[in-house]
Amino acid sequence: MSRGNMGFRIRFACRDLLNSIRRVWLFCACLMLGVSLVMASGAVYQMLNRSLLADTRALMGGDVEIESSQPLPQNVLAWIKTQGHVSLVQELNTMLSTPKGDFHLVELLSTDDAYPLYGDLVLEPEQSLQQATEQRDGHWGVAIDPILAERLGLKLNDRVNIGNLALQVRALVLAQPDRRLNANWRGAPVLLSQDALNASGLVHPASRIEYEYRVRTDQTARAWKRQFMAAFPDSEWEVRTFQDRSERIAERLDQIASGLLIVAFSTLFIGGLGIFNSISVYLESKRSTIATLKSVGMRNTHVAQVYLVQVALLAGVSGGLGLLVGAVLAWLGSQMLAQDLPMVMKHQDMLRAGTVAWLFGVITAYTFTLPALGRALCVEVSDLFRDQAAAPHGLSAAWRGATVIAVIVLTLLVLAVIPNFLFGLVFVLVVGVCLLFFEGVVRALKRLALNAEGRPWLLRHAAWRFAVANLHRPGTPLRATLLSMGSALTLLVASSVVVVSLLRMVHQTIPEQSPALILYDVMDDQKAAVQEQVQGYDSFHSMSLSPLVRARISAINGSLLRERPSDEIDWQEMARDEHKLSYLSGNIDGIRVVEGALWEAESMTLRAAQAGVDFLFAMEDREAEQMQLQPGDTVRFSLAGQEQTGLLTAIYSQRGIQTRFWFEAIFSDGALDPFITMYVGTVYMDDADALLLQTELAQAFPNVITVRTEELVASAAELLGKATQGLVVLASISLLVSVMVLTSVLAAGRTRQTYHAAIMHCLGARLSYIRAAIRLEYALLAVIVGMFAMLLGNAIAALILQFRLKIYAWDVYSLGVIIAFGASALVFGLGAHYLCRRLRVQPATLLKEAV
Amino acid sequence: MIRVRNLGMRFEQEGEALPVLHDINFEMDKGDSVAIVGPSGSGKTTLLQLLAALEQPTCGEITIDGQSLATLSVDALADFRRDQLGIVFQSFHLIDSLNALGNVSLPLDIQGHADALSRARLMLEEVGLSHRMHHYPRQLSGGEQQRVAIARALVHKPRLVLADEPTGNLDQNTSTAITDLLFGLHAESDATLVLVTHDMRLAERCKRSFWLEEGRLHESR
Repeated sequence: MSRGNMGFRIRFACRDLLNSIRRVWLFCACLMLGVSLVMASGAVYQMLNRSLLADTRALMGGDVEIESSQPLPQNVLAWIKTQGHVSLVQELNTMLSTPKGDFHLVELLSTDDAYPLYGDLVLEPEQSLQQATEQRDGHWGVAIDPILAERLGLKLNDRVNIGNLALQVRALVLAQPDRRLNANWRGAPVLLSQDALNASGLVHPASRIEYEYRVRTDQTARAWKRQFMAAFPDSEWEVRTFQDRSERIAERLDQIASGLLIVAFSTLFIGGLGIFNSISVYLESKRSTIATLKSVGMRNTHVAQVYLVQVALLAGVSGGLGLLVGAVLAWLGSQMLAQDLPMVMKHQDMLRAGTVAWLFGVITAYTFTLPALGRALCVEVSDLFRDQAAAPHGLSAAWRGATVIAVIVLTLLVLAVIPNFLFGLVFVLVVGVCLLFFEGVVRALKRLALNAEGRPWLLRHAAWRFAVANLHRPGTPLRATLLSMGSALTLLVASSVVVVSLLRMVHQTIPEQSPALILYDVMDDQKAAVQEQVQGYDSFHSMSLSPLVRARISAINGSLLRERPSDEIDWQEMARDEHKLSYLSGNIDGIRVVEGALWEAESMTLRAAQAGVDFLFAMEDREAEQMQLQPGDTVRFSLAGQEQTGLLTAIYSQRGIQTRFWFEAIFSDGALDPFITMYVGTVYMDDADALLLQTELAQAFPNVITVRTEELVASAAELLGKATQGLVVLASISLLVSVMVLTSVLAAGRTRQTYHAAIMHCLGARLSYIRAAIRLEYALLAVIVGMFAMLLGNAIAALILQFRLKIYAWDVYSLGVIIAFGASALVFGLGAHYLCRRLRVQPATLLKEAV
Repeated sequence: MIRVRNLGMRFEQEGEALPVLHDINFEMDKGDSVAIVGPSGSGKTTLLQLLAALEQPTCGEITIDGQSLATLSVDALADFRRDQLGIVFQSFHLIDSLNALGNVSLPLDIQGHADALSRARLMLEEVGLSHRMHHYPRQLSGGEQQRVAIARALVHKPRLVLADEPTGNLDQNTSTAITDLLFGLHAESDATLVLVTHDMRLAERCKRSFWLEEGRLHESR
């Protein structure tokens, strides 16, 4: 075929499209919506992913981090240096005060000359870290975080007190590659020299200095870690990559980002169904054009080219518009998050998300267009010219092959783009299961309806008879309706349940009632004095102090961790992990048992004796899952050199952020007594008194760290609030537009039904009778689709919540019931309403339109 | 039986009035067979649709058995079509999701007859389609579809049968067979038959014939 002919086909495609543009608005709307949501959520996810997960080196300050409470021995350091570069950062949480009497929790960072191994430290005014922290005129200098400067009203050259030392503010840290994401509420960083730290009086044997050795290596972090552990198998230092450092807020943001993606991809799929139905209706309207083109000698492949060009034009332009809308949404989302997190939307985030979203749009359009086009082209010219609907032709092998290829490409793209491969696989499987499931429902329904047709009771009720008959007759849109509506509503139910669970979890993370003050590092011998001081305030309401004991796990069910081969679980790493243990103490940490049960105080000793263990204990869900622990397992702890065995009776989750203690195991009372050296606690009182108490405690007990939760909770609440607002807005838009798209799909797919209704009206059927039959049929469909969408959607949501997001909620599934039946009733109700309204037109007009 | 007075019809197309029928007047008696003949675009189908109460005239009145169609509600018009009218559309308008039996039994179903299927079966036998009862429209030839449409129009024994170009799409042999069938069935009943056609041979088989041109009707025979 000559190029000129191709030119004609393109010109014809454009002309034909321009004259039919009103018929493809649904196609354009679906594609634009899907692309914009994928683009927006993808770009935000890219930004979060880059900042939270991907840029591991900069955030860690190295490829691997070895953490110890003591400096590493020289031979270990020598080994590390042979394997890469190393930098030591000493960290210590303490209180910083100003001459005005303000106190604030800070994270002291004392670095060596190799710092930072990755990225650049940028100070204002511009200078080196050594210059900023050196001693001048008898005073050491510090570089402080801008957040801290703003909160305490500090300027350059102001004095601050840390421990026994008065220091001078020499610089603001404009960029710190390893600044922690939770530094805003965990403790703003303050950089000082090693000598200044030593001179502060804070370094003594009982102080909790963390020696963090960051390593830069050409190997993968995992391989380096494996070699290190093999070289020093009996060491107890924690060796971590970034993935090991679980940060609660980052985890929440990651979950929210996953929620965004679930919503976006569900919307894209629903949009895809909209595209399929829209293009099917469009091609139906083009039957005579296709027949004419074929009858005047145009080959099937050339007719296909005409319509493929049209789809390319529609997909390209609609996708482009979707990108514009998506970019605006993404920019708005990034602006909200950037106010609280050290992250900015980069051009490459937008570019990558935009490219992916546009590709998705185009491939989705073709995936859903190919079968419809193939079917239209497989019909004989004579059939196409007939007024009657074409017989349900199967697709030819070529069209089937093209469709399969498009589906495979789309699936691979989903798998490549969704950050978690397993998550992507589950999404693809869920869509597949939905379609198969509803295919089964369609067949079962058809069979049931066919069997019911001859029943005497049905013969007596004509409206019922027609409603039931419409479910099984050839050409019925039941299959398209159920597959589209069923799978779309299933995804809608699943994503709504997931989104609401996320929102509730975030709400629970930010408690309504928080203690006014959190206390850390209260020494055993300071406990009574601190209690006395706290209780002296008029607004004092209550106080809880719980021990904080650190220990390692040495054996599970009698099997030593260090002797276990590391396959799925890195048991060597588990053996090194230090766990924070405490007592329940009135549930200071706000835990909730999710498996098993806590012990009865009266019978715990007897129960422990019966089980042949020293104590009973409960464990946090994430820790238990990491070690595959179940209630009933026995675990041996190494407590200050002593081996003690406990029986695991319960697994709990700790969702709140109010204390940030995050105990990893709760022991039965008395079990930790011999090992307690330190307490943590909460104080409930007025915030104004808490501020005074904070100052008093800092003066009387310099080692005790106090944090006012008002700041902490407000800061976290603001951040999570913004993230969830974004999720709510996106999910609401998606829900609303999905319902609109589905209603349009239903209406567009029911053109034939309007025609049939018009014929019946012409033959003498009253409109009220026809409407009754339509309402019955739609009510039946609404109940059937709602029921199956509710069952399948809730099941999918349960899997995502339990296994991906680790959210254990049971009452949220009632929402799935409401969404399934509500959306189903709304969509089918609007569809029936549309159909009934169409019948108001004169029957002759309807017949003319149908011809 | 049928009286048409000063009937006029015009359509609005892109803001402009398009007159189709002007001042139509005629009367028909019970058992009459009437042909309305005219060139394409003369308004034949529109006139038939007005007689079938599928459209409302712009002016004038249609009275059937003394009852003006203009005074009837939408439901009453539907009842009129159900009980008194059989209509054969030019393009058949069979319901593609119903087989031949289902299509033919439709008027009886709408009337609520419990024996709809058995009567439809008999009707299909009369039109020679007993072997095609369970076939769907797309599985039938044009002539067979036309016979199903005729069977559907007559199965409930209407008093008025309207047929729009009943042989328009058919070859000579099939056309003759269909015409024989239609007039044979009409002879067995006392229904009034109104045919719209431009086939003069078909028109000649009717007792009366009208010529419609540019929206104006003249009785030619």
